[in-house]
Amino acid sequence: MPLSGRFLLLASGLIAVMAFSLQSGSLAISLSDWWQGLSEPQSLVLWELRLPRVLMTALVGAGLAVSGVALQALFRNPLAEPGLIGVSSSAALGAVAVIVLGGVLWGEVSGWQMSLAAFISAAAVTMLIYLIATRQGSTDVALMLLAGVAVNAVAGALTGLLIAVSDDVQLRSVIFWMMGSFSGADWSQVALLAVISLLVIGRFLMLSRPLNALLLGESSCLHMGYAVQPLKWQIMGLSALLVGTAVALVGVIGFVGLMVPHMVRLWVGPDHRQLLPLSALGGALLMVLADWGARSVMPPAELPIGLLMALLGGPFFLGMLLKRRGRLSLMGNG
Amino acid sequence: MHRNESLPTPASSIEFTDLGFRVDDRALLTDLNGRFDGGRIHAIVGQNGAGKTTLLRCLTKELAPTRGQILFNGRALNHWSFKALAKQRAVLPQQSAVHFAFTVEELVSLGLEVAESQTNHINQLEQILAVCDLQSLAQRNCLTLSGGEQKRAQLARVLAQIWPDHPEADQAFSGKWLFLDEWSEGLDLKHQIQISAWLRRASRQGLGVVMILHDLNQVVQWADEVLLLKQGRLHTQGDIADVFTADNLHQVMDVHLRLWRDPALPYPLIVPE
Repeated sequence: MPLSGRFLLLASGLIAVMAFSLQSGSLAISLSDWWQGLSEPQSLVLWELRLPRVLMTALVGAGLAVSGVALQALFRNPLAEPGLIGVSSSAALGAVAVIVLGGVLWGEVSGWQMSLAAFISAAAVTMLIYLIATRQGSTDVALMLLAGVAVNAVAGALTGLLIAVSDDVQLRSVIFWMMGSFSGADWSQVALLAVISLLVIGRFLMLSRPLNALLLGESSCLHMGYAVQPLKWQIMGLSALLVGTAVALVGVIGFVGLMVPHMVRLWVGPDHRQLLPLSALGGALLMVLADWGARSVMPPAELPIGLLMALLGGPFFLGMLLKRRGRLSLMGNG
Repeated sequence: MHRNESLPTPASSIEFTDLGFRVDDRALLTDLNGRFDGGRIHAIVGQNGAGKTTLLRCLTKELAPTRGQILFNGRALNHWSFKALAKQRAVLPQQSAVHFAFTVEELVSLGLEVAESQTNHINQLEQILAVCDLQSLAQRNCLTLSGGEQKRAQLARVLAQIWPDHPEADQAFSGKWLFLDEWSEGLDLKHQIQISAWLRRASRQGLGVVMILHDLNQVVQWADEVLLLKQGRLHTQGDIADVFTADNLHQVMDVHLRLWRDPALPYPLIVPE
């Protein structure tokens, strides 16, 4: 099947799942309602609550999956994932720092400020992990994962510290934010996320060939005529932008960048010209599906989506580790 | 037998003068002067740590030498962009394992895309796969290949990068270069012979080859010229018949070797004493 066929397949799947997700909820909006015209509350719920939520869910899923693909090319390892190597938790630390410290220093904080702080700390940690785990162009996977453990621990502790010193108002907004979920989605957030995601994913698509070459190692990439150093900077900056924005808007959601690229690779192989667009669609599909599930399991309560993804992703990650058993070491190249 | 070919177009050459490379206070290469001509097969020989791979990485612009100058095909190497270089020369690094599940065909296509040739990729792909005896493995996932098969797939990818539009033409590979760091490592004898025979043929069509080899008997079979490196300095460079003497080899390799001449063979056999 050529790319166009696969793309259409996933895209129609995504549209179908989005349509189902739009219909379901405490206020049912069925297809026949669509056909006959929506009532006032129905149209309000659809346009102000469900549509922005579903779009935001899809964009976050696409962005997280693509950032996984990009980090995996940078580290030349399919286990590199923003959640596992600490990028997401440090983005969260950046966002919480803005809520707590920004509240003291300049009062009202905006989504933009949180996104910016999340982006900066995500980029810094990506660089840090890269410097720690990669030497002369080859990544030590165990070192990468362990450095991620350490970063996750420190970021978690600092986040806890900030929460401990925050006052009641700040605490409420931190907790509200940390619960993540897409329930707070509004159109301005969707617009911000859409612009950033589409630009970054578009840029990564343009880098497909150099990303393919990078999978063969940094020196091979160089000898195939691609400027390696600028390429690496772009991967770090752009993937941090995707993760930072997503985390600032919806909180930490792990494993999307691990599961989706892995499954797409099994389907079409590692060529980024296919892997990138299909992972974006697949990430969106998985996330919309998971959000739908999180809302439908025990209504009217909602499962936090981060929790649901961890339930799915944890065992998936263990499975990937099992397949690599014996090839992960602190010395060798996984 | 194959020692006295006429030299092809003079533009195809690599020259280096006063080449030095230091890391901190350690000199890895010191005052190297030498020249590689296109259409010839060159071997770099020396002990571990003599600077062979460092020299190769300097000549391919992966490392910037801390001293000296390199001319690639008549032009200063630092004036070549990596993009332009990639169409003139391809490099097989020492570490050439594949970590992602490309099929052999996809891997070779990555090289062909760099060449950006106007002719039919499918034909070129078949020619290249044939050189490395990979036709039956074309659809195989590289991760499932043995070490030697992976090496052949990477070699094919490297060949593809400089594959000419008309490989049968008289000087099809003129101006093009291959840098191969221990390409024969892990290959079985049959494929060593097949690929070295192809390298010989391509060198007659103008291809310049620079290879690092550890097995001296492979060097005498495959190389026209040798550059002997000792502790980062040039010991001797020249025609293999002149350079490969028991004396030189003893000085460079620090072992006593005997060169056995068999009247049936065009080259000597090298055995430890």
